[in-house]
Amino acid sequence: MLRIIEKLARTMVVLGGVVLVLLVVLTCASVIGRSLNGMLHSDLAQSLLGEVADWLINAGIGPITGDFEILEAGVAFSIFAFLPYCQLHGGHATVDVFTSFLPVKANKYIIAFWEVVLTAVILLITWRLYAGMLSKMGNGETTFLLQFPVWWGYAASFVPAVVACVVGLYCAIGRVAEIVTGRDFLPKLEGAVH
Amino acid sequence: MTMLEMGIASFPILLLMIFLRAPIGMAMFLCGIGGLYFGLGSSNMFLAKLKSETYTTFSSYSLTIIPMFLLMGQFATLSGMSAALFKASESWLGHRKGGVAMASVGACAGFGAICGSSLATAATMSRVALPEMRRYGYSGGFSTATLAAGGTLGILIPPSVILVIYAILTEQNIAKLFLAAFIPGILAAIGYVITISIYVRLFPDAAGTRDPVPYAQRWRALFDVWPVLTVFGLVVGGIYLGWFTPTEGAAIGAAGTGLLALISGNLTWAVFKESLFATAMATAMIFFIVLGAGLYNSFLALSQVPQEMSNLVVGQGWSPWTVLTVILVFYLLFGCLMDSLSMILLTIPIFFPVISVLDFGMSAEHVAIWFGILVLIVVEVGLITPPVGMNLFIINAMDRETPMSETYKAVLWFVGSDLVRVVILVLFPAITLCLLPS
Amino acid sequence: EEVTLRLHQFLPGQANVPKLVLDVWADNVEKDSGGRIKVARYPSMQLGGKPPELMDQVTDGVADVVWTVVGYTPGRFPSTEVFELPFITSDARAASRAYWEMFEKHMKDTEFKDVHILGTWVHGPGMLHTKDPVTSPADLRGMKIRGGSRQVNMLLTKLGATPVGMPVPAIPEGLSKGVLDGTTIPWEVTTALKVPELVENHTEFTGAALYNLTFVLAMNKGRYEGLPDDLKAVIDQNSGLEFSVFAGGTQADADGPAREFAAAKGNNIITITEEQTQEWRALAQPIYDAWVEDMKSKGIDGQALIDEATALMAKYAE
Ligand code: NA
Ligand code: NA
Repeated sequence: MLRIIEKLARTMVVLGGVVLVLLVVLTCASVIGRSLNGMLHSDLAQSLLGEVADWLINAGIGPITGDFEILEAGVAFSIFAFLPYCQLHGGHATVDVFTSFLPVKANKYIIAFWEVVLTAVILLITWRLYAGMLSKMGNGETTFLLQFPVWWGYAASFVPAVVACVVGLYCAIGRVAEIVTGRDFLPKLEGAVH
Repeated sequence: MTMLEMGIASFPILLLMIFLRAPIGMAMFLCGIGGLYFGLGSSNMFLAKLKSETYTTFSSYSLTIIPMFLLMGQFATLSGMSAALFKASESWLGHRKGGVAMASVGACAGFGAICGSSLATAATMSRVALPEMRRYGYSGGFSTATLAAGGTLGILIPPSVILVIYAILTEQNIAKLFLAAFIPGILAAIGYVITISIYVRLFPDAAGTRDPVPYAQRWRALFDVWPVLTVFGLVVGGIYLGWFTPTEGAAIGAAGTGLLALISGNLTWAVFKESLFATAMATAMIFFIVLGAGLYNSFLALSQVPQEMSNLVVGQGWSPWTVLTVILVFYLLFGCLMDSLSMILLTIPIFFPVISVLDFGMSAEHVAIWFGILVLIVVEVGLITPPVGMNLFIINAMDRETPMSETYKAVLWFVGSDLVRVVILVLFPAITLCLLPS
Repeated sequence: EEVTLRLHQFLPGQANVPKLVLDVWADNVEKDSGGRIKVARYPSMQLGGKPPELMDQVTDGVADVVWTVVGYTPGRFPSTEVFELPFITSDARAASRAYWEMFEKHMKDTEFKDVHILGTWVHGPGMLHTKDPVTSPADLRGMKIRGGSRQVNMLLTKLGATPVGMPVPAIPEGLSKGVLDGTTIPWEVTTALKVPELVENHTEFTGAALYNLTFVLAMNKGRYEGLPDDLKAVIDQNSGLEFSVFAGGTQADADGPAREFAAAKGNNIITITEEQTQEWRALAQPIYDAWVEDMKSKGIDGQALIDEATALMAKYAE
């Protein structure tokens, strides 16, 4: 079971990561396009290249329309896609100086307790994201420049959010089961590198 | 209970949860929605807020810079630049007494210029420098402490994720904050080098020596770090000169370091996935804290705690310098226990309004920038103060032979150098502000 | 019984609209209710979220009252866009009056049915502030301009400029760093944004404004309906047509000092004559056509809205 969940979480990270890299490329392309467009409009380019410059401008050399909007929706997807992996590997920031003085068993209970609460929070977030998506679907709101419906972004994020719920439920049940059975169901905790 | 009382009561509850090992972002999230629920007597508000809060936070344009910087740091790690930087710095400094340690600090400073995160800098440079220091007979604690301190340069030298968060919280200009961080960052590196030279004089056994390398070799090694300078110049310079927005700059930096990693041949699909896992872990952690802090701060705003706090401090008639000192000491103490990002997100909405009404004889913008740099430094000291110092943990985990207590002992010298620097920067704001256009 | 209303909006408390319009409204409500209504003011998005969320916040009761730019949520309130078309408005009072009238007739029970609207208004004439002078449409070619509304962005594209989307507070940096060659914005906001220090040319139009934005002051519906009748009456007497005209007029009046400030600095204020403005207006015809077409797809008679708005504004213009 852990192998399937691990695979699921990793697949989401790779998906989110590939989207992130594509956004990096898109942003760079937009910056380059904007600079070239500015240069082609300059007096120097206009006098040297004349019609060629205008032709290039008309061919679409310029910033990518709505690049900010794509970036925003894409990054939201990526972050939701990163959540399950972070929870599965215990990556959320915690302070354990005080609890480290407690016996191992007490720590296990504490960790399991917060894992359950965290999963409840993830479920709450996903449920509300869904409600948000429905209300954006209902009111016809679009983005400013590309004018794509805002709910598309919500829908894209909803998919990894559901995966986060599945992984969260596994983590919560797994931590409790570890206490009950004494066996390990989750990867060893590691700290986050930030 | 009034809303204000509830706001005040939420602090100890939040701290209790955090000290009981609750994930920090989640603790703030729960205190936020709990406060909204009990304060308003209904769940309508927080349920309505959550419909858009998560998506809006995760898709915020100004925050998109964070995953970009983290990806940039990961690619920088793979680019082979850490080794080139260490080699360059080591060939010039390595033969001096404590020279390999000094070289590590220099290389960390260089790496900090293309990496926005402190832990990534510490981890990456340790991989290169730790074996070398041990090879030349540097003691375990001294080596790990040097790299833990050097790692903080990852965030003190721009670009820096913490400064981005500060800029967003206080509506300041990111480019100006990056520029203002530059001299204090260099001072930090110099301070560490001085600390090392004092340390090796007091404890001569802590460091070995080696022969100088020929100048031809030194120049060649120095030449090899040009990609670092190019990426740093392009990103920080481009943001400052307005060629692109900070987020676009981070994207260009990620693309640049990604290309370097590709050219170096280190960026295979398997390695690429590994770097995504690290990016994912850090990104999810940061955004979860940002989300929780956002909710908690809305509740605090509703309960008027920041305004009342500001009124209270102003009403006391304390001198601005006293207030500033109290705040900085608070950060130093809390930094022993808490993570830097959480501290900033939690406290800046409360402290910043207080600081911004005080008269330090400077323009409001200068006060905001100067305060930001001071806060950046004191929270970063937290990364190396025992018992909870993330940099210490990361590096100690990479050198199992050295007991944590050795690292703790040696790192206090570097903490000392940080404190001296804070005092200097508090007394002479001009050091921080001199690069800014007036 | 005492009622506290949470008023949430996106500008700092000292800015013109919060200070000269919203505070006045809030103070009047407090006074007229004999202190039974208290308006707690949360400027600068203190209650969280981004400006486009304000409409949802008031619909859902996160805030009780919000002031927002309708165009921040494109697609949701399509009819209001008639006042955002290029060269359609001229006098802010007349436009705000027409807007309220058309709101009551066409929008109250349709697009705005989920909220209780307290006021509808537009700002003073939207115009250009540029580094290089703009005296004719051709001068805009190749300039990177921040457009204030969806419609003006389309016009800019049409004229060969590159519209750049960025929030208002980012304008000074955009101008100083060369990300922008100019911006559209009414005079009123220029002083706070230091626009006269960053550009030297300002292009005004005679007879019709380059563009405009529509604002609403909106109240949560349940909150309003849940008020006792006498407090409802207090809200009613402070909202509606008169308040809308006051708000639009006050905002437009703040243009004067800002214009004087730029003039005193020795900046170049270019005034496009009425005939020339008609030439610009002719170039904007495709934007009108596209808008009417777009409205048709939403089941709205756009041309009728344009005609009605034009007629009403002409009637109310002094
Ligand atoms: Na850095
Ligand atoms: Na610490």
